[in-house]
Amino acid sequence: MFEKTITLTGRKGLGIYKGMIDFRDFVKSIFTSFKSLRYLRFRSIYTIIINQTRFTGVDALAIVMIIALLLGGTVIIQALTSLPKFGVEGFLGNILVIIIARELGPLATALIVIARSGSAIATEIAVQKWSREILSMELMGIDTKLYIVFPRIVASTLSILGLIIIFDVVAFIGGYIIARTVVYIPMDVFGQTLIDAFTFKDIIAALIKSVMFGITIPLICCYYGLKPNSKFEIPIYVSKAVIRTLFIAIIVNGAVSTIFYLV
Amino acid sequence: MSDAILELKNVTYRRDSITLLDNVSFSLTRGDNITIFGPEGSGISSLFDIIIRANADFEGDVFYKGESIKSLGYFELMNYKKEVGYIHGDYGLMSNLTVEQNISLPLDYHSSMSASEIKAHVGRIIYDLNLDHCRKLRPFDLTRSEILKAAFGRAIAHDPDLLYIEHAFEDQCYLNIKSLIDVLTGRSMRPDKSLVMITYYPQNFIDISDEFIMFFNGRVVFTGRKEDFMNSGNPYLVQYRTNSIEGPMIIL
Repeated sequence: MFEKTITLTGRKGLGIYKGMIDFRDFVKSIFTSFKSLRYLRFRSIYTIIINQTRFTGVDALAIVMIIALLLGGTVIIQALTSLPKFGVEGFLGNILVIIIARELGPLATALIVIARSGSAIATEIAVQKWSREILSMELMGIDTKLYIVFPRIVASTLSILGLIIIFDVVAFIGGYIIARTVVYIPMDVFGQTLIDAFTFKDIIAALIKSVMFGITIPLICCYYGLKPNSKFEIPIYVSKAVIRTLFIAIIVNGAVSTIFYLV
Repeated sequence: MSDAILELKNVTYRRDSITLLDNVSFSLTRGDNITIFGPEGSGISSLFDIIIRANADFEGDVFYKGESIKSLGYFELMNYKKEVGYIHGDYGLMSNLTVEQNISLPLDYHSSMSASEIKAHVGRIIYDLNLDHCRKLRPFDLTRSEILKAAFGRAIAHDPDLLYIEHAFEDQCYLNIKSLIDVLTGRSMRPDKSLVMITYYPQNFIDISDEFIMFFNGRVVFTGRKEDFMNSGNPYLVQYRTNSIEGPMIIL
């Protein structure tokens, strides 16, 4: 029994190690592809960037705003009702900035993007591979890593940055409006506490998170999208893409917060 | 200087200890068109790994315009692939692009032509292939013949010196691809353009082929010009022409 557990753990560990080596090789191959950027004509990827930005950013606006409104409202109601009990209502702005702007905004946005666009990227690429579209591109002398991955990284980074800003703004303003139905707080006081609480560090951290998410989400999803060798494997790898990107996003969020606010 | 556009010298290619090509040598002169045929498992599809994908580990050498493609680096290989037009039986049109965008894709990526020049050039190809009615349609909305014509248009968009067509005509109604055959015939007569046709039906390409090569078990078993293909008594060729199970080839 013990031996079996050890063997299974070892096998799992070896599998994870091999997967990491494979992913490292994938990332290396993308770096190699970046060398051919000078041969790439921007017009060939312009449409992809526009379409991906529209899908990842613009089309996700409605759902991001609704979730921001609900989450923002909940956090603000909790803060306004709980802080006075501890006699720290003066820290309302700080609490909101800490919860919404530093953590909830970037993470919730990343989760929405993974659920919508990450799964779509992995599926699209897997289907393109299965229908030999990617092979056709390769045989036209098109650097597929550059043509497929690069525009998605650019589009995701732009979209996530925009969505995080919108999420935070909607969460604060919308949340305030919702909260006003429960607790009274003057708008100017609320606004001033937020402005006072925001630091330059918060803006840089949000920027770095959006860039990190913008790179990791399409990168991992493209990696898994290129994996299936048959139709049967497509849903397996799409599921892996979503779950592992979620996991990595939470790690990235935690790592950036640790570096900025703990170290 | 040799006028061969493509030359295979003593190519032996093994995968998983199975010999797919066994000491294969042939050359294609600039301006000539060659039809390569043979039954399933004869090795004609393995030529793709050697000539087109050019990433296989094999013995011997392949020369394109006198230069060994075995020694090409990453970017040189990209340039080589850019220079060879290729169509396969699955066509591989980008499903999210229209016919016009599919044909202009290699030009958008590689060419120094301006956007308006590309549009005009692609417009001519679309007109020649009789694809005007589906210019703005995506592959999903096309018939098989229209998909083939769009894939053909994409393969010839940058006017490659060598066109490699692999089983692309196998499942087509020739009446529907008349415009394509006309363009292909016109191209086959040009002294600077060459064609490699991989097919199970060599008789369909008698009018455009200068030379025929038959494969069996990874080896070349027949080579000859058009007249030889029609009249030779080569037992392999006779068995293939007559669709007989009796002969030197044991067909499973």
